Amino acid sequence: MNCRECVEHLYEFLDRELTPDVEREIREHLEDCPPCGEQFDFEELFLKFLRARCRAEGAPPELKKRVLRELFGE
Amino acid sequence: MAKPPPPPPLPPPVPSPVDEKRVGFEREALVHLDVLYRVALRLTGNPSDADDLVQETMLKAYRAWDQYEKGTNAKAWLLTILRHAFINEYRRKTRHPETVDLDAIEPFAVFPEVQDEDPQGAFFDRIVDDEVLRAIDKLPEAFRETLVLSDVEGMSYQEIAGILEIPVGTVKSRLFRARHLLQAKLYDYAVEMGYIKGSPA
Repeated sequence: MNCRECVEHLYEFLDRELTPDVEREIREHLEDCPPCGEQFDFEELFLKFLRARCRAEGAPPELKKRVLRELFGE
Repeated sequence: MAKPPPPPPLPPPVPSPVDEKRVGFEREALVHLDVLYRVALRLTGNPSDADDLVQETMLKAYRAWDQYEKGTNAKAWLLTILRHAFINEYRRKTRHPETVDLDAIEPFAVFPEVQDEDPQGAFFDRIVDDEVLRAIDKLPEAFRETLVLSDVEGMSYQEIAGILEIPVGTVKSRLFRARHLLQAKLYDYAVEMGYIKGSPA
């Protein structure tokens, strides 16, 4: 696998959407190719950062009460 | 005199169909309230409409509960209901119809810009939650919903394709462009704030 093919699969790899065979080819390429490795690391850190920043928020407690009241008359 | 035999144990109370429906709904559907709220908030853009949208979704879901195949994918099922409700009842009210040509949006790769100065993307860490959410809210709706389902809620391409009713290939290309667009917005912000020098214009 060359660099172009590897980078084409970047997000599918990070999203764990590839078949084990392709995933293995990418891992092998990344071990031998520091520039691709750096790019994959950067994107992986970005996705982790995004998830961490966006999951703090949950439904307000009042909303749950409102839904229960509406559905079950409580 | 022999003791009288102990009374037979009482049979367990038979749950009424209403109770069973309620228990099942609470266990499989209500547990996803946070997910629904987060997605609703990103779709509608404000907490009050998000509340109404989630409420509406839960009502529709409870009414249609018999049609849901128990133990499958309640989260995806609920999100599909939520999205239909949003399209039918909220989109016109909460956001102006979008006239963005998605294909005209050229993804801008941030990595080559920061490769020398900050290849680990440490500048991202200085950007606070609200700023990230604001940047997500500025994405075109088709990109925003795809990105939120994937990157915030961790759903698979297949699940997202089902919820948004688009091919898996479209999920991939939207996700690629949405992520790069968001990175570019956050990068511009980080340069503006002085978190990173950035390349000279």
